[in-house]
Amino acid sequence: MVLANASEARRSPEDILYQESLRTKWRLGFDRVIGWLLPLLFIVAILPIADLVYYVGSRALPTLTFQVLTSTSLTQTDALGVPIVSTAEIMVFATLLAVAFGIFGGVATAEYLSERMAGWVRMTANLLVGLPSVTLGYFGYFTFVLYFGWGLSYIAAVVTLAFFMTPYIFRTADLAFTSVPRPIREAAFGSGATGPQYIVRVATPIAFPQVLNGIFLAMAIGVGETAPIVLTTTLSTILPTSIYSPVSFLTALIWENFAQPKGSPLIDLAFQAAFLLIITVIALNIVVRLISYNFQKRIQGLYQ
Amino acid sequence: MVILDPPPAPASEGGREPIPPTSSDPPDGGLHRSRREWLRYLTKALALVPALIPTLFLIMIVVALFSLAGFGVTFSLSPFRFVVHPPYNFGFGFFGSKWNPSPAPGYPAQWGTLVFIVGSFLTAVPALFLSMAIGLGIAIASTVYLPRFVSAWLDPFVDLLAGIPSVVYGIWAFVVIAPIFGTLLNPWAAAHLAFIPGFGGPPGQATGVGLPITIFVLTLMSLPITTLLIRDALRSIPRDLWESGLALGATRWEVVRKISIRHGSRGILSAAFLGFGRAFGETVAVAMVLGVNAAYPINFYGSTGTIAATIFSLLDSAYGNSQFLAALSEMAIVLLAISLAVNIAGRRFISSIISYEVPGL
Repeated sequence: MVLANASEARRSPEDILYQESLRTKWRLGFDRVIGWLLPLLFIVAILPIADLVYYVGSRALPTLTFQVLTSTSLTQTDALGVPIVSTAEIMVFATLLAVAFGIFGGVATAEYLSERMAGWVRMTANLLVGLPSVTLGYFGYFTFVLYFGWGLSYIAAVVTLAFFMTPYIFRTADLAFTSVPRPIREAAFGSGATGPQYIVRVATPIAFPQVLNGIFLAMAIGVGETAPIVLTTTLSTILPTSIYSPVSFLTALIWENFAQPKGSPLIDLAFQAAFLLIITVIALNIVVRLISYNFQKRIQGLYQ
Repeated sequence: MVILDPPPAPASEGGREPIPPTSSDPPDGGLHRSRREWLRYLTKALALVPALIPTLFLIMIVVALFSLAGFGVTFSLSPFRFVVHPPYNFGFGFFGSKWNPSPAPGYPAQWGTLVFIVGSFLTAVPALFLSMAIGLGIAIASTVYLPRFVSAWLDPFVDLLAGIPSVVYGIWAFVVIAPIFGTLLNPWAAAHLAFIPGFGGPPGQATGVGLPITIFVLTLMSLPITTLLIRDALRSIPRDLWESGLALGATRWEVVRKISIRHGSRGILSAAFLGFGRAFGETVAVAMVLGVNAAYPINFYGSTGTIAATIFSLLDSAYGNSQFLAALSEMAIVLLAISLAVNIAGRRFISSIISYEVPGL
């Protein structure tokens, strides 16, 4: 045995064996303890979300009657009918706009751009996703509300939200069309398909679930956004009558009413809106995950 | 290899025999482009238009913010006017710490936005450290210590944290968590942790509104991003590295600490950048639990304001006041610049993000 230094020379072999075994015991014990402690950190992450869902649910459910959901009372202290319908309307139109921008953009990036250009475009899409939503709301306020003169209006909210949702749809459409298996692509072009023919007849059926996934994801994110809506429109107690009229939105409703004292009907309303939002977002997230899971399996199946 | 060589071609003086021209070949020997070819060029050129939509959006946002900072609400496309225009230029009020939007006799209007910039860092940096620590722990637990089926069930819950709308976080934190901080945690910490600099002094408001609750909320909100990216980084370690570490007698913890973390250090760094970007730009939840207070916090329990929350809350009252709007625009530019820089830095290290399902990634 080569002795590393003088201090080891003084130790007898028995000592060394004993000390090494102690050290090994400690190392193994530490590994085991860490293995028990680190999973406990999951509690730190999951407990808040469990408490959030539980608390919001327990605040909202006792007062959340069918009448509250459907009543279109003008006082807006005890009815969610108007915000729900307005939110749905805004989401539908914003999603349509964002789908128009995003899918065409994503397909063009995936199929027609050179690698370098595509990398650049993807980078900007990623940067847009990373932008704080207040920046976008601020941009919407100045561009649409003031510069275009639309005022705090329905259409300003729709367009700003569409701007917000576009990069998400863009990225997933791009990802879906680039992840079509290469052999299939080559087979299509090899048998004489033109670009548009390949896109429409070959790639779209394969990529469609993922594109749909992106749309759902963008909706889940868009329906929870507050800043772009609050900065571009004002709360209204009635459904919008024209594209320039103010409009209500669930998140804006929560923002307006969150500081009310306990017992006020307005804060009950805010919690009901929050509960509806959570349900919507979780449902959309589950759908997204299921579609994504099936898509992965399908893509893997195509290779076999 | 020798076998696969083709048999030598029979030697003829002209080499290969020329292919006889067919009727479909262009008469000018290829200079003429067919209709189909032109169509292909046209589609390629046309495809640039939709493909450049994100770039166009980004340019629009940047130009709008810059032209505003210089000129209030009247749009002039002179992006750098803010440098030279004295009443509301960048350098003039930017480094000041005095913020007074409502002038009174003896109290002139002042637009020092440094308070909010400092406030943003004061909330985002501790939140980043906390969420990196917790995220690292969760990622190690889920990739190394937990059985696969358990982590497959637990991971989506952490990712779900990102999906909850920030306004819902805000109202929940304001109603449920803030009173706990205000009546329980802050007074306890003020009484027992006073030996740490900054932790002594008055324990803040009883409603709990202040820095600690903000840091708590921001930690929760950036946790899914950091966790997901660190998880991906740790998973990317090659199997043979992992197994050779174990075969040399290292425990799992030692392999993680000395090999996995080093191997995935770029991914972990990008997790830090992107998590910081999320915490720095968070708006509504911060506006709810911190509010807007144009002052430096006196201690850990004090309240201040962040850039994003200030823009969000004060835009209404700035209407018609071009100096106020210009000051907000300056803050928006700072926010934009920092989040762009953080995102560029963060995304350089990850070639492709594996999951697009977490918002903000």
